[in-house]
Amino acid sequence: MAEALVTITKDEQGVAILQMQDSVKKNALGTAFVEALTHALEEVSSDPEVRVCVLRGLEDVFCAGGDQDLLVALAEGEVVASDIMLSRAVLEVPVPTIAVMEGHAVGGGLTMGICCDIVMMARESRYGCSFMNMGFTPGMGTTRLLALAVGDYIAAEMMLGGQFFRGSHFEGRSQINYILPREKMWRKATQIASAIAEKPRFALEMLKRDLSLKKRRLFEEARTSEVPMHQVCFTQPETARRIRENYVSNKKES
Amino acid sequence: MTKDKILAIVKTNLLDILEDVEEDAITSDKSMKDLGANSLDIVEVVSTSMRELKVKVPRAKLNDLKNIGELVDVLYEEVQAKADA
Repeated sequence: MAEALVTITKDEQGVAILQMQDSVKKNALGTAFVEALTHALEEVSSDPEVRVCVLRGLEDVFCAGGDQDLLVALAEGEVVASDIMLSRAVLEVPVPTIAVMEGHAVGGGLTMGICCDIVMMARESRYGCSFMNMGFTPGMGTTRLLALAVGDYIAAEMMLGGQFFRGSHFEGRSQINYILPREKMWRKATQIASAIAEKPRFALEMLKRDLSLKKRRLFEEARTSEVPMHQVCFTQPETARRIRENYVSNKKES
Repeated sequence: MTKDKILAIVKTNLLDILEDVEEDAITSDKSMKDLGANSLDIVEVVSTSMRELKVKVPRAKLNDLKNIGELVDVLYEEVQAKADA
């Protein structure tokens, strides 16, 4: 049997590590991966002993964003974008969440990370918003949530231009908690997680719910405008062509 | 547009995007990976160079390139094709 796409490990302190490890498709958001991830998030969310959830990807890729097949299916109207509610699943985790984005995070993958309460980037990895490269407006709450992390102007540049910026680009100009050399990230992440896990679960849960209200509100606001924009984009015949031509595949090392 | 000019453009973009690469280390026989570039560094170098040259090479054509020289060749072909059109 193939290795699980997403695994959960939990220690006695209540630190749950949710490891995304689809090394073949590089954590791209395809049907099977989204299902595995959603399931893992539900499992962590329903475990009363968990006090903090750490979201980790592969060393080189945190999450590659929408899988090409899924995007083409969206463009051809086979799936509706609002079905992909991964951002909400992350936002709704009842305990504090930490995104340890050691590797690249692209499109929906970056937004998923930003949905966490604490966000870490690697100086040498790249982060970008690829939606418009493929001819459609951003989804998954990106239109509102990205600005929260990197500010309105940088978010606008990222969404409109679709460039991939190094983590180091965001140093001193974003709300990202830590931008570190990749090899130093995990140690820092475990320190942050332990500091949180010392606190009582009931208090963590209340405070998390309260602090995440802004993000949850922004997400709902974003969905309100992202869904109709997608309806326009995905009915343009050009979009499916652009997805096929411009999708950057991480599947193979080149 | 000569191949040398295209190589110079790719080189400038590589230096901008990779930051920590020595100019002398960039030669046609090397791959960007040899120079320490990761997958998305490469995407950035190629996209920026294509924009500067006002050409668009399909991603499929870019996947099998082995070194910077081959990238220059592909970009040169596109520039020529565009000029002939």
